[in-house]
Amino acid sequence: MTTATLTKPPRPADAPSARRSRWTGIRRVLTRKPGRIIGLSILVFFVLMGTFGPMVYGDQLAIDPDAIYQSPSAEHWLGTDFAGSDVLQATVVGSRYVLLTCSLAALFASTIGTTVGLLAGFHRGLSDSALMRVTDFVLTVPGLPLLVVLTTMWKFDSPLEMGFVLGVVGWGGIARAVRSQALSLRERGFLEAARGLGLPSRHIIVRELLPNIAPYVAMHLLLSVIGFVEAQVGLFFLGIVPFTSTNWGVMINQAVFSGGALQSPEAIFYLLAPLTCILLLIMGVVLFLDAIDELFNPRLRER
Amino acid sequence: MKGLARTVAIRLVGGAVMVWIVATFTFFLVHALPGKPGDVAYEKYVAMGMNSQEAKAKASIIYGYTSQDPLFTQYTHYISDLLHGHLGISISYSGVPVADVIGDALPWTVIPILSGLLISFCIGVSSGVVAAVKRSSRLGSGLSLAASMIAGIPSFVIAILLITVFYTNMGALPYGGTVSETLLVDPGWNVEYVSSVAYHAILPVATYVLISYGGWMLSMRSSVVSVLGDDFILASELRGITPSTRMRYIGRNAILPLFTTLALSFGTLFGGAILIEATFNYPGVGQLLLNSIGKRDYPLMTGAFLLITTAVVLANIVADLLYSVIDPRVRR
Amino acid sequence: MVRFKHFVAASAALATLGTLAACAPDSGAKNGANGGGVFTTVDANNPITPGAPMNPYSPNGNTFLSYNSMRLGFEKKNPMDANDAFPGLAKSWEIKGDTLVAHMQPDAKWSDGKPVTVEDIKMSMAIALTQGTASVGSGQLSEGLNVASVTAVGKHDIEFKQAAGTNNANFAKQILGQSIVPKSVYGHLVPADIWDTIAASQQVDAAQAKAAQAAVDKLNETGKAIAAFAPKKDVSAGPFVVKRVNPGSAILVRNKYFYDLGKIAPSQVVIRHYSGNEQIWGFMKNGDLDAAPFTAIPTNVLNQILAKGYKRADGTSYVNASIAFNQSKAPYDKKEVRQALAYILDREAITKVGQPVGGMASTAPAGMIRKSTEQWLGADEVGKLNPYAHDEAKATELLKGAGLKQKGGKWYLANGKQWKITLQTVNGFSDWIAASTVVANELTAFGIETKPALSADFGAYQTDMAAEKFDVGWWLTAVGADPRQNFQRLYGESDGFVANGDKVTHTEKKGDGNWMHGDETFTVDGQSINPGQLTASLAGLDTEAKKPVITQLVKATNQEVPVIPMWDYTNVKFTYDKNFTNWPKNGQDAILANQPGVWMMQGYIQAKGK
Repeated sequence: MTTATLTKPPRPADAPSARRSRWTGIRRVLTRKPGRIIGLSILVFFVLMGTFGPMVYGDQLAIDPDAIYQSPSAEHWLGTDFAGSDVLQATVVGSRYVLLTCSLAALFASTIGTTVGLLAGFHRGLSDSALMRVTDFVLTVPGLPLLVVLTTMWKFDSPLEMGFVLGVVGWGGIARAVRSQALSLRERGFLEAARGLGLPSRHIIVRELLPNIAPYVAMHLLLSVIGFVEAQVGLFFLGIVPFTSTNWGVMINQAVFSGGALQSPEAIFYLLAPLTCILLLIMGVVLFLDAIDELFNPRLRER
Repeated sequence: MKGLARTVAIRLVGGAVMVWIVATFTFFLVHALPGKPGDVAYEKYVAMGMNSQEAKAKASIIYGYTSQDPLFTQYTHYISDLLHGHLGISISYSGVPVADVIGDALPWTVIPILSGLLISFCIGVSSGVVAAVKRSSRLGSGLSLAASMIAGIPSFVIAILLITVFYTNMGALPYGGTVSETLLVDPGWNVEYVSSVAYHAILPVATYVLISYGGWMLSMRSSVVSVLGDDFILASELRGITPSTRMRYIGRNAILPLFTTLALSFGTLFGGAILIEATFNYPGVGQLLLNSIGKRDYPLMTGAFLLITTAVVLANIVADLLYSVIDPRVRR
Repeated sequence: MVRFKHFVAASAALATLGTLAACAPDSGAKNGANGGGVFTTVDANNPITPGAPMNPYSPNGNTFLSYNSMRLGFEKKNPMDANDAFPGLAKSWEIKGDTLVAHMQPDAKWSDGKPVTVEDIKMSMAIALTQGTASVGSGQLSEGLNVASVTAVGKHDIEFKQAAGTNNANFAKQILGQSIVPKSVYGHLVPADIWDTIAASQQVDAAQAKAAQAAVDKLNETGKAIAAFAPKKDVSAGPFVVKRVNPGSAILVRNKYFYDLGKIAPSQVVIRHYSGNEQIWGFMKNGDLDAAPFTAIPTNVLNQILAKGYKRADGTSYVNASIAFNQSKAPYDKKEVRQALAYILDREAITKVGQPVGGMASTAPAGMIRKSTEQWLGADEVGKLNPYAHDEAKATELLKGAGLKQKGGKWYLANGKQWKITLQTVNGFSDWIAASTVVANELTAFGIETKPALSADFGAYQTDMAAEKFDVGWWLTAVGADPRQNFQRLYGESDGFVANGDKVTHTEKKGDGNWMHGDETFTVDGQSINPGQLTASLAGLDTEAKKPVITQLVKATNQEVPVIPMWDYTNVKFTYDKNFTNWPKNGQDAILANQPGVWMMQGYIQAKGK
């Protein structure tokens, strides 16, 4: 989707030390730069918004046909939309769909990608090349145009369905990265030792490989959220995904294509509210990634 | 060099297989979509005020191009046509070959992407060097952070923000379409036409520049940082080699790996063009794909989709080859 | 080579882009020889399709009605008289029974200087019979052209005769409404014996059925070839001729051979491409368009456009937006339920959100737009119709009468299940989508849980609609000025009525686009009527004889509420006094129903400062 930040493969974390020291380590890393705390707070803020926002407001947006596209006022802090609904309320209520879809998509993508990558990296040989061909295919087929074609067939009624489809389309990168990690772990004689002890493959994959790759996956998971935000909101923005409830992409679409937000200033808040949320969310992820990066990449601390 | 020729051949065959798989996949995918071209047209004619019999008859005549053969027969035809270089005949353009329709749209996708890529490459690489050299200072970390943020912003968000600032608020730049509508000169080599196209391309190109800038800057930064750790640099500091020679060495060795990414990102941008073209109403391949879906123009849909995929495949091949040329260690 | 040129030009643009410091090219319209400048507009039915043929029979062809695509006459969309039209290539005409005599414009010429001949007209009618804009063959409705002959009866007079045994009240409308194309361009596509084939196809005799079908197939083949044909250059008998089609616009220049050149002020017409309404708003905001067609438009943008200096001229638009039901699904099979829903929905509020500029909230469901209903029934009868004004108490009473139950503020069906509505609408229909939010809100507030749902596009919507996947959805009704067409939308194929000649059969079976499943007969004012039969019978009736039938149909529709109309669309045209003046005004329905090319032929649109 976007050119992903090139992160260096992190070294496997050292054997887990006492839990308390790990927590202090995390705290130290987080507080080293104020940006990281800000990033974490933004993420927490959105999680809270997506979780409790719709409960506070209720799912049904109140409408008022006599107050369409009003400017911000004491009653409507961000003005109103095409049906006289409160823009702030629409933004908060609409956040759940976006956040849930993107988290689910990231989860599906990492699960599929990690599984494929681990199997390929662990088994080598025929199954490796077969799995990697599939991965190549997934990486080659351009995600967004494919989704655009798919929208006509699929009814993305729930975040679960949409997240699933996004995940199925977008796991290629994670699979590749995990495979190369797994290969490099192999090369370090890491597995031979385990094999020598007569441990079964499943034990090796789950107990030995996975923990070493986990931080790496976590980072990719966060990174992929960025891509999925673009894909998910973009599809709604294009106006090709049938929607049943409001969300940020729908708001942008309505503002631009039927509210004339690019032609007249009245609908500008309706447009800017979801845009600002997207920008904030991306900012939160990027800032927080910086901390994750350092946690799993001790070399960075030397600077 | 024999080895290289072999590598090229292998890659090309692999690419062709990939294109064939994608062609097959899209063919069946597209024919599984609900709705037929005739139905869409029928309702359009009714909304235009025709009565239902007229509309039905008109739609059935016009869309008589929709083949009635069994799907598999259609598929074998399609593939054999592809091998002969035919993409089929468009339905909604009744009788115009798909290749021509796409050919008209292609420049409007390729040119902005290429110009955006090159401009962002130059800006990104230079600021990447700065960020790497000053990596311990505030400036360096600020630059990197900004780049990561910009790299994460969805393309259409950037596009809308640019339009809001430069068109809606300032009225300084045009948005929508490719040339000024009052321009009545022939398209081609004349100052008026070319400058109008360029003027209308500013915002789309700026969008492409911004969405790719972050990637370049971050890659260059990490590339330079790793070169700085090279033995040559450490030795040169001891031997007193001039800083300018050192900079040249750093620049050359750091920028080489980026050329492979340059090819890759051309493919990626091609896939993302849909969003940007829809925002700017730019008549490129992405816009074509969107419109053809609404009209259920199967050949055009598969053609546009295939073209986008082929662009990605070719970009990958070029990137692979560049990589093996640039990094001698890969050539065995 | 054009493509290469584009590519080169775009490459050049790229080359200059780096050095170009935002210099806005200002290429104002170059004035033509007669002081007329460039007339810029948008063709709502025909966005520019670069590369598509300049062929009126092509689905996206680059021909523009009234500019470079001509007809014998231009329909006035008069609900009382379908045959009413402005003159086109025919200066005037008389209708005598089953014959129409058209008197051609004596000076009509094609843009290559050749005169428009009887042969051109004759061949165009033959092509029409291959294009499905006219029906041919047995097994189809008796409502096509049914042309038996086209003959020259004088130097500029042509006679059109209906086929034997047909009685088509809209015969003149059909003849006048066909595209006329030059034989010099299309002649090679039309077989010499086409009229024999047409005659063979019009055999209704059962013994000849096979031969008739073979003839129909042959005509269809010809029709396909014609639809796919791409002429090398535009040859037009209209006031303009296409000079070039760019990706963003089609450029037409004045046809110097046009028969009424004195009336045509603009030296050039530029028709802009658009892919969404908001682009048309943008053009107007910049003052780029001299005239613009109707688009769904929000009030805030309207105000901006009016502030720029545009004037709006409102005409009647013969279509309304309705909510339709699949009446085979409970509870929509009961008319009381449909009536109750009409009482619940506040159409004023819905229209304010859905179509604030281009819509008038509907009152009484009638199957036709309000204006047509008033014209046909008269004010007294219209006053007797039930307007279903917002009345929740009445709705509650009706629903309870239909066996539904209300518990804890929620409504339950007779079988005890909660009543939930999924209101289906279509992506891209922004007015329907916006209005759906209000409909859902009103119904949910009343206790019927309603959620809007969208189909991805119209193709998918239609397919699913026909496959009966929806119970409740939006639908365009009252389409067209002709009442028969209006009622066909409700009591035609989608309602299971199949007309074959004068015989109408009703089927309950699913498929074939039959998804409404209304009853075959209604009891109105104590007498039983068959709406499908009545609708089909309108074809052969004259204006006076139509009135009682239409009255019956309107009353039936008002009582049965097969669909609930939300608003009648308004045909809002925008005009801009920048380069030209003298525009059609509010309420001039007939002229506003046509494109600006017709306005020019009627003497509107003159250059400013003349």
